[in-house]
Amino acid sequence: MRSSAVVLAVHSVRRMRAVLIAIALVLGGFQFLLTQVAAFLLRRGGFGVISSFIPDFMQNFAGPSMLAFTSFEGVVAFGYFHPMVLSAHVGLAIAIATEPAAEVETRFADLTLARSVARHELITRTVFVLVWSELVMLLVMMLSTWAGLACCTPADTPRPGAATIRSLAILLGAITLCWGGLALAAAARVKRRSTASGGIAVAALAAFLLDYLARIWDPAKVVARFSPFRYFEPMSLLAGGQLEWRSVAVMLAIGAAGATAGYIMFSRRDL
Amino acid sequence: MNAPAIRLEHLGKRYGRVAALRDVSLTVEQGEVFGFLGLNGAGKTTTIRILLDLVHPTSGRAAIFDLDCQARGLEVRARLGYLPGEPGFYGDMTGDATLDLLGTLAGQRVDPARHAMLIDRLELARADLRRPIREYSTGMKRKLGIVQAFHSDPPLLVLDEPTEGLDPLMQDAFYDLLAESRARGRTVFMSSHVLPEVERVCDRIGLLRGGELVLLSPVQDVRTLAGRRVRVTFGADVAAPPSWPEGCEAVSVSPRTWDLRVRGELGAVVSLLGTRPVADLDVQMPHLEEVLKKYYANAP
Repeated sequence: MRSSAVVLAVHSVRRMRAVLIAIALVLGGFQFLLTQVAAFLLRRGGFGVISSFIPDFMQNFAGPSMLAFTSFEGVVAFGYFHPMVLSAHVGLAIAIATEPAAEVETRFADLTLARSVARHELITRTVFVLVWSELVMLLVMMLSTWAGLACCTPADTPRPGAATIRSLAILLGAITLCWGGLALAAAARVKRRSTASGGIAVAALAAFLLDYLARIWDPAKVVARFSPFRYFEPMSLLAGGQLEWRSVAVMLAIGAAGATAGYIMFSRRDL
Repeated sequence: MNAPAIRLEHLGKRYGRVAALRDVSLTVEQGEVFGFLGLNGAGKTTTIRILLDLVHPTSGRAAIFDLDCQARGLEVRARLGYLPGEPGFYGDMTGDATLDLLGTLAGQRVDPARHAMLIDRLELARADLRRPIREYSTGMKRKLGIVQAFHSDPPLLVLDEPTEGLDPLMQDAFYDLLAESRARGRTVFMSSHVLPEVERVCDRIGLLRGGELVLLSPVQDVRTLAGRRVRVTFGADVAAPPSWPEGCEAVSVSPRTWDLRVRGELGAVVSLLGTRPVADLDVQMPHLEEVLKKYYANAP
């Protein structure tokens, strides 16, 4: 017999399949489109033109992040840290992670928990769906990048390596699961999904802006250490750096801590 | 000896400074149909949610078939069917998908014949079960709730306001299901506002007021608390006696009509009337409502 968590996970995925497919298509399509944009700019010599339009002081200020706009690899990789892509991933994670709060709010949890289903299975289900859906999204994005590069770009083009794309995907997955875990903790505590999802979405936006601020304004660096986005460093990968496993571990640890808090709070609360 | 189906021992629940339940103790034996009554906010739903381990008690203990509802919640919930006051179905799921999911989670195979019997008796058309629940009326949602609660024919049914939103014909169908469950030895614990319903189906009642259990009694005994109403019509003017027999109280007296309330046997009243020109005698059994409304009215 399948565990209740698996039954509930299959049920959740079925209910969300239209949204999941739509987001996967948009994200996949965006990655494919970026490869075509990069190929177009390469064919037309557009990268040099873009560089010439950006003043020197801005290029110096932007540092390695200029690579994202002025090189073929940068444009292709941009889809793994574009703010809209980040928003889609984090937003989807928040939506999935706050399902326990929605079930308490709609009283569907009363029906499931009136059976021999342990409370922790609702949280385990959410963790399953969260991890599974993120893996699917990343896989679709990587496949789209690969398809775009394979089908429509000249063979001698200096492409981003598979390791770089994989590392970018790992970073994106880690930051997504980090916020998913935090959203799960909030969802395990409150009675309304909107409270959990709204609160975490605002926190994520604030953390993102704080990290951005700290990158251009030194005094903000002290506080920005508490932003999970501090550990999300895709630019260093584009500049030829290695994946910082410590940063990945920190983001996943934050997510795991959130999920653990979710387990504890959900098992102790009144529903 | 069989373990009681439900045992509450000094059960208490506080929400901050508000006491939702105070020292509630009661036992429901197996095979009983127990009515749990009280005004809104009296603590009925809180008690039911403690039985289901959805809410943790602040003090005391709740047990089902001698299994602690909190410590052994999974075993407890494998033995009961629950109909919530407001069933929280997902609007985008069909009735069939909902029943499938809840049946799978219960981990028990639902007898197809029983499934067919339930949806037929409650007049849920197969086509309706294939529609999303958001298109259901309140009554249809309630019927779906009843089906899922009765699906696995559990030994204990916990029903919160079971007939709310049902039309009279469906109420009768529900009462028939309840009677059949009782005949098979199932126990029913139901909360209700509908006193005639409680009078019709329950063996015993418990009444909560402000979180306290203020009445626990067989339905028949509660009725006798109110006394029977006896109306005597005379063919000629008669004088009232100087004193009334024990247990008899005059509600209104005129030369041709006496309205009396009689607690206990009627023999003394019949003897009193023996020598008088009685034209008509009307004896009415009291309704549960008459007694319970007094309890409700005494709410602090």
